[in-house]
Amino acid sequence: MNSLDKYLIVIARVVLGAIFLWASFDKIADPAKFARSISNYHIVPFGLENIVAIILPWLELLIGTGLILGFMVDGSVHISAGLLIMFIFMIAQAMLRGFNIECGCGLKEGEMVGLNKILENIVFLGGAYIVIQRKKRLFEVFPKTPL
Amino acid sequence: MRLNKSSDQILVYITCSCLIGLGVNLFRGEPLSILAKPIEIAEPGDELESIFADPMIREIDLTMAQNLHENGKLFVDARAVEYFNEGHIPGAIAEDDVDVLASEIESKIGETESFVVYCSDDDCGSSEDLAYELQDLGFMNIFVFKGGWKEWTEANFPVERNE
Repeated sequence: MNSLDKYLIVIARVVLGAIFLWASFDKIADPAKFARSISNYHIVPFGLENIVAIILPWLELLIGTGLILGFMVDGSVHISAGLLIMFIFMIAQAMLRGFNIECGCGLKEGEMVGLNKILENIVFLGGAYIVIQRKKRLFEVFPKTPL
Repeated sequence: MRLNKSSDQILVYITCSCLIGLGVNLFRGEPLSILAKPIEIAEPGDELESIFADPMIREIDLTMAQNLHENGKLFVDARAVEYFNEGHIPGAIAEDDVDVLASEIESKIGETESFVVYCSDDDCGSSEDLAYELQDLGFMNIFVFKGGWKEWTEANFPVERNE
Protein backbone atom coordinates (compact mmCIF):
# COMPACT_ATOMS: atom_id res chain seq x y z
CA MET A 1 0.00 0.00 0.00
CA ASN A 2 1.60 3.32 -1.03
CA SER A 3 1.12 6.53 0.94
CA LEU A 4 -1.43 7.86 -1.55
CA ASP A 5 -3.63 4.81 -0.96
CA LYS A 6 -3.27 5.19 2.81
CA TYR A 7 -4.36 8.79 2.78
CA LEU A 8 -7.16 8.06 0.30
CA ILE A 9 -8.58 5.62 2.84
CA VAL A 10 -8.42 8.21 5.63
CA ILE A 11 -9.99 10.88 3.40
CA ALA A 12 -12.79 8.48 2.34
CA ARG A 13 -13.42 7.63 5.99
CA VAL A 14 -13.57 11.24 7.17
CA VAL A 15 -15.69 12.44 4.23
CA LEU A 16 -18.15 9.55 4.68
CA GLY A 17 -18.32 10.36 8.40
CA ALA A 18 -18.93 14.04 7.70
CA ILE A 19 -21.76 13.17 5.30
CA PHE A 20 -23.53 11.01 7.89
CA LEU A 21 -22.92 13.58 10.61
CA TRP A 22 -24.29 16.41 8.47
CA ALA A 23 -27.30 14.32 7.36
CA SER A 24 -28.24 13.61 10.97
CA PHE A 25 -28.56 17.23 12.19
CA ASP A 26 -31.86 18.25 10.55
CA LYS A 27 -33.39 14.87 11.33
CA ILE A 28 -32.48 15.12 15.01
CA ALA A 29 -33.82 18.70 15.14
CA ASP A 30 -37.18 17.75 13.59
CA PRO A 31 -37.94 14.02 13.90
CA ALA A 32 -41.63 14.57 13.08
CA LYS A 33 -40.72 15.95 9.67
CA PHE A 34 -38.30 13.09 9.10
CA ALA A 35 -41.05 10.61 10.07
CA ARG A 36 -43.33 12.14 7.43
CA SER A 37 -40.54 11.86 4.86
CA ILE A 38 -40.16 8.16 5.70
CA SER A 39 -43.93 7.71 5.53
CA ASN A 40 -44.01 9.17 2.01
CA TYR A 41 -41.97 6.20 0.77
CA HIS A 42 -44.90 3.89 1.67
CA ILE A 43 -42.55 1.12 2.72
CA VAL A 44 -42.53 1.16 6.54
CA PRO A 45 -45.62 -0.60 7.97
CA PHE A 46 -47.70 -0.21 11.16
CA GLY A 47 -46.76 3.41 11.86
CA LEU A 48 -43.17 2.35 12.60
CA GLU A 49 -41.81 5.44 10.78
CA ASN A 50 -41.81 7.31 14.08
CA ILE A 51 -39.53 4.89 15.90
CA VAL A 52 -37.22 4.86 12.86
CA ALA A 53 -37.21 8.69 12.86
CA ILE A 54 -36.37 8.72 16.58
CA ILE A 55 -33.44 6.27 16.39
CA LEU A 56 -31.94 6.41 12.87
CA PRO A 57 -30.61 10.02 13.03
CA TRP A 58 -28.69 9.20 16.23
CA LEU A 59 -27.24 6.10 14.58
CA GLU A 60 -26.10 8.35 11.71
CA LEU A 61 -24.62 10.83 14.17
CA LEU A 62 -22.76 8.15 16.12
CA ILE A 63 -21.33 6.34 13.09
CA GLY A 64 -20.44 9.70 11.49
CA THR A 65 -18.53 10.68 14.62
CA GLY A 66 -16.92 7.23 14.80
CA LEU A 67 -15.74 7.43 11.20
CA ILE A 68 -14.27 10.92 11.62
CA LEU A 69 -12.53 10.17 14.93
CA GLY A 70 -11.46 6.66 13.95
CA PHE A 71 -13.50 5.07 16.72
CA MET A 72 -14.88 1.55 16.10
CA VAL A 73 -14.44 2.12 12.36
CA ASP A 74 -15.28 -1.47 11.36
CA GLY A 75 -18.70 -1.29 12.95
CA SER A 76 -19.48 2.22 11.74
CA VAL A 77 -18.42 1.60 8.13
CA HIS A 78 -20.41 -1.62 7.90
CA ILE A 79 -23.51 0.15 9.27
CA SER A 80 -22.97 3.05 6.86
CA ALA A 81 -22.70 0.64 3.90
CA GLY A 82 -25.88 -1.13 5.05
CA LEU A 83 -27.74 2.18 5.38
CA LEU A 84 -26.58 3.37 1.96
CA ILE A 85 -27.79 0.14 0.34
CA MET A 86 -31.13 0.58 2.13
CA PHE A 87 -31.38 4.23 0.94
CA ILE A 88 -30.65 3.18 -2.67
CA PHE A 89 -33.36 0.53 -2.45
CA MET A 90 -35.88 2.96 -0.93
CA ILE A 91 -35.28 5.65 -3.55
CA ALA A 92 -35.36 3.13 -6.41
CA GLN A 93 -38.67 1.61 -5.30
CA ALA A 94 -40.18 5.10 -4.88
CA MET A 95 -39.09 5.99 -8.43
CA LEU A 96 -40.43 2.71 -9.85
CA ARG A 97 -43.78 3.32 -8.13
CA GLY A 98 -43.88 6.83 -9.61
CA PHE A 99 -43.71 8.73 -6.31
CA ASN A 100 -42.65 12.34 -6.76
CA ILE A 101 -41.56 12.84 -3.16
CA GLU A 102 -38.94 14.69 -1.16
CA CYS A 103 -35.87 12.59 -0.47
CA GLY A 104 -35.70 13.41 3.24
CA CYS A 105 -32.00 12.54 3.02
CA GLY A 106 -30.98 15.42 5.28
CA LEU A 107 -28.14 16.70 3.09
CA LYS A 108 -30.03 19.47 1.32
CA GLU A 109 -33.52 20.88 1.96
CA GLY A 110 -36.21 20.07 -0.61
CA GLU A 111 -34.29 17.50 -2.69
CA MET A 112 -36.57 15.11 -4.57
CA VAL A 113 -35.97 11.40 -5.15
CA GLY A 114 -34.31 10.71 -8.50
CA LEU A 115 -31.47 9.04 -10.30
CA ASN A 116 -29.03 11.67 -9.02
CA LYS A 117 -29.75 10.60 -5.42
CA ILE A 118 -29.15 6.94 -6.32
CA LEU A 119 -25.84 7.81 -8.02
CA GLU A 120 -24.87 9.97 -5.03
CA ASN A 121 -25.46 7.04 -2.66
CA ILE A 122 -23.51 4.68 -4.95
CA VAL A 123 -20.54 7.08 -4.78
CA PHE A 124 -20.82 7.15 -0.96
CA LEU A 125 -21.03 3.34 -1.01
CA GLY A 126 -17.77 3.32 -3.01
CA GLY A 127 -16.21 5.39 -0.22
CA ALA A 128 -17.45 2.87 2.35
CA TYR A 129 -15.95 0.02 0.29
CA ILE A 130 -12.55 1.76 0.24
CA VAL A 131 -12.63 1.91 4.05
CA ILE A 132 -13.90 -1.67 4.47
CA GLN A 133 -11.10 -3.20 2.38
CA ARG A 134 -8.29 -1.31 4.17
CA LYS A 135 -5.34 -3.39 5.45
CA LYS A 136 -4.08 -1.09 8.22
CA ARG A 137 -5.64 1.12 10.85
CA LEU A 138 -4.26 4.57 10.06
CA PHE A 139 -5.25 7.40 12.44
CA GLU A 140 -7.73 5.17 14.28
CA VAL A 141 -7.99 5.68 18.02
CA PHE A 142 -9.91 2.51 18.96
CA PRO A 143 -9.46 -0.42 18.66
CA LYS A 144 -5.70 -0.44 18.04
CA THR A 145 -5.47 -4.16 17.26
CA PRO A 146 -4.17 -5.13 13.79
CA LEU A 147 -6.73 -5.90 11.08
CA MET B 1 -17.03 -8.08 24.67
CA ARG B 2 -13.65 -6.70 23.49
CA LEU B 3 -15.09 -4.65 20.65
CA ASN B 4 -12.53 -5.89 18.13
CA LYS B 5 -15.15 -7.56 15.97
CA SER B 6 -17.43 -5.61 13.60
CA SER B 7 -20.51 -7.39 14.92
CA ASP B 8 -19.77 -6.28 18.51
CA GLN B 9 -19.20 -2.70 17.38
CA ILE B 10 -22.43 -2.72 15.34
CA LEU B 11 -24.29 -3.94 18.41
CA VAL B 12 -22.80 -1.10 20.51
CA TYR B 13 -23.70 1.54 17.91
CA ILE B 14 -27.29 0.30 17.56
CA THR B 15 -27.81 -0.03 21.32
CA CYS B 16 -26.42 3.46 21.99
CA SER B 17 -28.57 4.95 19.19
CA CYS B 18 -31.72 3.36 20.63
CA LEU B 19 -30.95 4.56 24.16
CA ILE B 20 -29.98 8.11 23.15
CA GLY B 21 -32.79 8.46 20.58
CA LEU B 22 -35.53 7.26 22.91
CA GLY B 23 -34.03 9.18 25.85
CA VAL B 24 -33.81 12.48 23.96
CA ASN B 25 -37.32 11.99 22.57
CA LEU B 26 -38.65 11.48 26.09
CA PHE B 27 -37.33 14.87 27.17
CA ARG B 28 -38.46 16.81 24.10
CA GLY B 29 -41.10 19.47 24.61
CA GLU B 30 -43.42 17.52 22.32
CA PRO B 31 -42.15 13.93 22.20
CA LEU B 32 -42.89 12.00 19.03
CA SER B 33 -45.18 9.03 19.69
CA ILE B 34 -43.43 5.69 19.20
CA LEU B 35 -45.96 4.66 16.55
CA ALA B 36 -47.27 7.15 13.98
CA LYS B 37 -50.98 7.83 14.06
CA PRO B 38 -52.63 8.28 10.65
CA ILE B 39 -54.49 11.52 9.95
CA GLU B 40 -58.08 11.33 11.14
CA ILE B 41 -60.51 10.96 8.26
CA ALA B 42 -63.42 13.42 8.20
CA GLU B 43 -66.64 11.48 7.58
CA PRO B 44 -69.33 12.85 5.24
CA GLY B 45 -71.83 12.79 8.13
CA ASP B 46 -69.67 15.01 10.36
CA GLU B 47 -71.10 18.36 11.30
CA LEU B 48 -69.06 20.95 9.39
CA GLU B 49 -69.17 23.36 12.29
CA SER B 50 -67.87 20.79 14.74
CA ILE B 51 -65.06 19.99 12.34
CA PHE B 52 -64.17 23.64 11.98
CA ALA B 53 -64.23 24.16 15.73
CA ASP B 54 -61.80 21.30 16.24
CA PRO B 55 -58.21 22.34 15.58
CA MET B 56 -56.83 19.38 13.66
CA ILE B 57 -55.47 18.21 10.35
CA ARG B 58 -58.01 15.88 8.76
CA GLU B 59 -58.13 13.87 5.59
CA ILE B 60 -61.06 14.34 3.21
CA ASP B 61 -62.24 12.45 0.15
CA LEU B 62 -63.27 13.74 -3.28
CA THR B 63 -66.95 14.27 -2.40
CA MET B 64 -66.08 16.30 0.67
CA ALA B 65 -63.48 18.29 -1.27
CA GLN B 66 -66.11 19.10 -3.88
CA ASN B 67 -68.60 20.19 -1.18
CA LEU B 68 -66.03 22.43 0.48
CA HIS B 69 -65.07 23.88 -2.90
CA GLU B 70 -68.69 24.67 -3.63
CA ASN B 71 -68.95 26.29 -0.18
CA GLY B 72 -66.12 28.64 -1.18
CA LYS B 73 -63.37 27.15 0.99
CA LEU B 74 -59.84 28.18 0.09
CA PHE B 75 -57.79 25.48 -1.68
CA VAL B 76 -54.02 25.47 -1.39
CA ASP B 77 -52.00 23.62 -4.02
CA ALA B 78 -48.91 22.02 -2.47
CA ARG B 79 -47.31 21.22 -5.82
CA ALA B 80 -44.52 23.33 -7.32
CA VAL B 81 -45.79 26.56 -8.91
CA GLU B 82 -44.80 25.35 -12.41
CA TYR B 83 -47.28 22.45 -12.11
CA PHE B 84 -49.87 24.76 -10.55
CA ASN B 85 -49.65 27.10 -13.55
CA GLU B 86 -50.32 24.20 -15.90
CA GLY B 87 -53.62 23.49 -14.16
CA HIS B 88 -55.20 23.63 -10.71
CA ILE B 89 -58.48 23.53 -8.82
CA PRO B 90 -60.33 26.82 -9.54
CA GLY B 91 -59.55 29.53 -7.02
CA ALA B 92 -56.63 27.60 -5.50
CA ILE B 93 -53.42 29.35 -4.52
CA ALA B 94 -49.84 28.09 -4.59
CA GLU B 95 -46.46 29.40 -3.52
CA ASP B 96 -43.12 27.62 -3.28
CA ASP B 97 -42.07 29.66 -0.21
CA VAL B 98 -44.11 28.44 2.76
CA ASP B 99 -43.77 31.73 4.68
CA VAL B 100 -45.09 33.72 1.72
CA LEU B 101 -47.88 31.18 1.34
CA ALA B 102 -48.77 31.49 5.04
CA SER B 103 -48.99 35.30 4.72
CA GLU B 104 -51.23 34.92 1.68
CA ILE B 105 -53.57 32.48 3.46
CA GLU B 106 -53.69 34.72 6.53
CA SER B 107 -54.52 37.79 4.46
CA LYS B 108 -57.31 35.91 2.65
CA ILE B 109 -59.02 34.01 5.48
CA GLY B 110 -57.09 34.53 8.73
CA GLU B 111 -55.61 31.79 10.90
CA THR B 112 -58.74 30.17 12.30
CA GLU B 113 -60.76 29.64 9.12
CA SER B 114 -60.41 26.19 7.57
CA PHE B 115 -58.90 25.49 4.17
CA VAL B 116 -57.98 22.51 1.99
CA VAL B 117 -54.48 21.43 0.96
CA TYR B 118 -53.89 19.06 -1.95
CA CYS B 119 -51.02 17.82 -4.12
CA SER B 120 -50.74 15.65 -7.21
CA ASP B 121 -52.17 12.34 -5.97
CA ASP B 122 -52.56 9.92 -3.11
CA ASP B 123 -48.83 9.13 -3.01
CA CYS B 124 -47.27 12.59 -3.28
CA GLY B 125 -47.07 13.36 0.46
CA SER B 126 -46.37 17.07 -0.01
CA SER B 127 -49.96 18.07 0.93
CA GLU B 128 -49.49 16.39 4.31
CA ASP B 129 -46.04 17.93 4.77
CA LEU B 130 -47.38 21.39 3.91
CA ALA B 131 -50.37 20.91 6.23
CA TYR B 132 -48.05 20.18 9.16
CA GLU B 133 -45.79 23.12 8.26
CA LEU B 134 -48.79 25.45 8.13
CA GLN B 135 -50.09 24.04 11.41
CA ASP B 136 -46.72 24.86 12.97
CA LEU B 137 -47.15 28.42 11.67
CA GLY B 138 -50.46 28.76 13.51
CA PHE B 139 -53.12 27.44 11.11
CA MET B 140 -55.23 24.86 12.88
CA ASN B 141 -58.22 23.94 10.70
CA ILE B 142 -56.64 22.17 7.77
CA PHE B 143 -58.14 19.53 5.50
CA VAL B 144 -55.87 17.32 3.40
CA PHE B 145 -57.47 16.19 0.14
CA LYS B 146 -55.39 13.07 -0.41
CA GLY B 147 -56.73 12.20 -3.86
CA GLY B 148 -55.48 15.58 -5.00
CA TRP B 149 -55.17 16.87 -8.54
CA LYS B 150 -55.31 13.38 -10.11
CA GLU B 151 -58.62 12.42 -8.49
CA TRP B 152 -60.10 15.88 -9.16
CA THR B 153 -59.29 15.79 -12.89
CA GLU B 154 -60.31 12.12 -13.25
CA ALA B 155 -63.74 13.12 -11.90
CA ASN B 156 -63.89 15.79 -14.64
CA PHE B 157 -64.39 18.56 -12.11
CA PRO B 158 -63.66 22.12 -13.30
CA VAL B 159 -60.04 23.22 -13.56
CA GLU B 160 -58.26 26.52 -14.05
CA ARG B 161 -55.04 27.38 -15.86
CA ASN B 162 -52.69 30.33 -15.54
CA GLU B 163 -51.90 31.72 -18.98
